Amino acid sequence: MLRTQEYFLNFGPQHPSTHGVFQIILTLDGERIVKGEPVCGYLHRGIEKLAEARTYTQVIPYTDRMDYLAAMLQNLGYVQAVEKLMGIEVPERAEYLRVISGELSRIASHLIGIGVNALDIGAFTGFLLCFREREKIMDLLEELTGSRMTLSYARIGGVADDAPEGWLDRLKKLMDEMPGYIEEYQGLITGNEIFQARTKFIGILSPETAINYSLSGPTLRGSGVNYDLRKARPYGVYDRFDFEVPLGENGDCFDRFLCRMLEMEQSVRIIQQAVEQIKEVDGPVIGKVPKVLKPPKGEVYHEIESSKGIIGYYVVSDGSNKPYRVHVRRPSFINLGYLDEMVRGYLLADVVAILSSIDIVLGEVDC
Amino acid sequence: MFGKGLIKGLQITWKEFWAPKLTVQYPDEQHTVPERFHGRFVLDVDKCIACGLCANACPNKVISIEKQKVGKKQYMTGYKMKIQYCLFCGLCVESCNKDALHFSKDFNMNQYFYRDIPLVLVEREAPAEPLEEEEPAAKAGDKEKPKPKPKAKAEKPAEPAAQTEVAAGKASDKEGQ
Repeated sequence: MLRTQEYFLNFGPQHPSTHGVFQIILTLDGERIVKGEPVCGYLHRGIEKLAEARTYTQVIPYTDRMDYLAAMLQNLGYVQAVEKLMGIEVPERAEYLRVISGELSRIASHLIGIGVNALDIGAFTGFLLCFREREKIMDLLEELTGSRMTLSYARIGGVADDAPEGWLDRLKKLMDEMPGYIEEYQGLITGNEIFQARTKFIGILSPETAINYSLSGPTLRGSGVNYDLRKARPYGVYDRFDFEVPLGENGDCFDRFLCRMLEMEQSVRIIQQAVEQIKEVDGPVIGKVPKVLKPPKGEVYHEIESSKGIIGYYVVSDGSNKPYRVHVRRPSFINLGYLDEMVRGYLLADVVAILSSIDIVLGEVDC
Repeated sequence: MFGKGLIKGLQITWKEFWAPKLTVQYPDEQHTVPERFHGRFVLDVDKCIACGLCANACPNKVISIEKQKVGKKQYMTGYKMKIQYCLFCGLCVESCNKDALHFSKDFNMNQYFYRDIPLVLVEREAPAEPLEEEEPAAKAGDKEKPKPKPKAKAEKPAEPAAQTEVAAGKASDKEGQ
């Protein structure tokens, strides 16, 4: 009888398909994965600890550095947590600007998600086309906030600045073009038989396990679990928009990919509605907030739907002007927890497809 | 039919092949930089009262302000930014009450030597004695003279303007073109 021996292979931390500095120690039997042990922490910067030495406002730029692909959503989670703690009212116009910039961030993040997913599997054209539209979104965000990725746009009590002259029209124009672009990706990536062969029925995740592992975002919805915080527990002004939650059927890599694709369409819809509604809303973009923020003693947990999943901020206040403790529930990190079981039994080449279908960003995993 | 998707993909690729090019040949052509761009900092020295709000607003303690007491007033002798630690979040610009600190559209901040990285917006010496109300800005080189003669006083109005220009323009001079 032929005896095979298991061996281990270091996948990363310097592997381009790990989306950063992430290592998986794979135990292989031939080309089959027996075990995949994720090793993270190469990008750890101690943001939670740094936050303890900063005032409440000064934490905002650090939240950008977690999921830098969708920085606005990270800002939003933090400022809403502090607002909840202090009971600050946010002006309506600011809420709309938050929704618009947040959804733009979500589209930009999903464009990277699907583009890089295609790239990892070998579809380079799909990757480039996704980046082309992302660039347009980055330009819009740059006009609005001054930065391309690390926006630091949200402020406690509102947003940093109102939309510049003519910005909303340019945004509307791009959003009108966006469905056409999405159709292009659908034709180029989704319909591609090679892509389908590489992703369909790979890395299957059942709805029960997805819930048990507390996965969230498109990773969860790809398995057919209808749970989107924007619908389930609307925050901000999300209850005023009409949109659907796209769901997958099989919970494989392809469904997770398709969920992101369809979610972009819904985000475009939300932005289109927000652009229409913001016209009727005038007023300040930042509420009445004291210069020195001293929240009352207590703690708060607030979570929002980020592009990768549910991002939750746990802020403890001791009554001073600096947070006593900030903890972040990072969706990428938690979604990654199931990686080991997801890769078991598949081929080595599928690890790349599975990892990129979870759509992690290492800044958030390591925090 | 198997392969239909591939053909459709090729059609899209073919269509994009003839689409206008989006790449910008960087040093020759440049994108327009938006109004709110977070670029190099510019300090309006005349407006700045050296209150230190910007230094306090900074999450990374990038800004250091040096000031001396001249007469009853505080006089700013240095405004330095350890720009290598800057997050470009804009909290300092936002905190400025006097509208003195701004972002410029200049994004080219790389330096050849590490020692050149810190951004020196103001570096000057304090005048030895308090200036009169009409002369808000300073002049350098007075420190050696403990008691400037009345004759020197008459020259003052011309000097502060020149000094301010140097302070404001210092940042752009430093860059290696």
